Amino acid sequence: MSEISNCVRRLRFEHNEMTQEELASRVGVTRQTIIAIESGKYTPSLGLAFRIARTFNRGIEDIFTCEDK
Amino acid sequence: MNAEQKRAWLMLISFVVCGVLFAVLAPFVGAQAAIVAFAPVGLNAFGVLIGRGEKVDERDKSILRRAALAGFAASYLIFVLALMGMWTTTFMFHGSSQVSVHVLPDVVTLGFFTALIVRAVAVLVGYRRHVEADDV
Repeated sequence: MSEISNCVRRLRFEHNEMTQEELASRVGVTRQTIIAIESGKYTPSLGLAFRIARTFNRGIEDIFTCEDK
Repeated sequence: MNAEQKRAWLMLISFVVCGVLFAVLAPFVGAQAAIVAFAPVGLNAFGVLIGRGEKVDERDKSILRRAALAGFAASYLIFVLALMGMWTTTFMFHGSSQVSVHVLPDVVTLGFFTALIVRAVAVLVGYRRHVEADDV
């Protein structure tokens, strides 16, 4: 079993305090999904993870980390 | 709360209201006739008008797919258990392997209601708990 954590919230603030709504529209999901990702309630698909990484000009592994339990 | 959650709540509330109405009517008109109390549940079809044009993303699709699967699994289970239970009861206590023809519509109705209720509950639970994307 592995747990995926992320630093999307921190990156949003580092990018001119980007709002959840703005990030959601950039990556093509709803704001609720961004909230769920930030709180760890939703593990995004690979495609969405790539889109989020590109938005912040980072690699996927810089944003999402997988920890084995 | 998004449109799908509102539809799920509406479905559950309508089942509760109709269930109470059924319980009130049944002693007077009999269970077979009182089933008409569930007719207003059909109005949930207008639930598609709630949040028309609202965006549905991969998380919503994941939750809805799992909820539909849970609803189908529950109704299938109820269907098989009800039919087997009915057949076993008839065979064991009445010494006959024949089941009344009236049983089938009741079991189908029960299975259908179960599917709707379980799906609605699964939608509400899905939006609260951790969900993983369906990478297919």
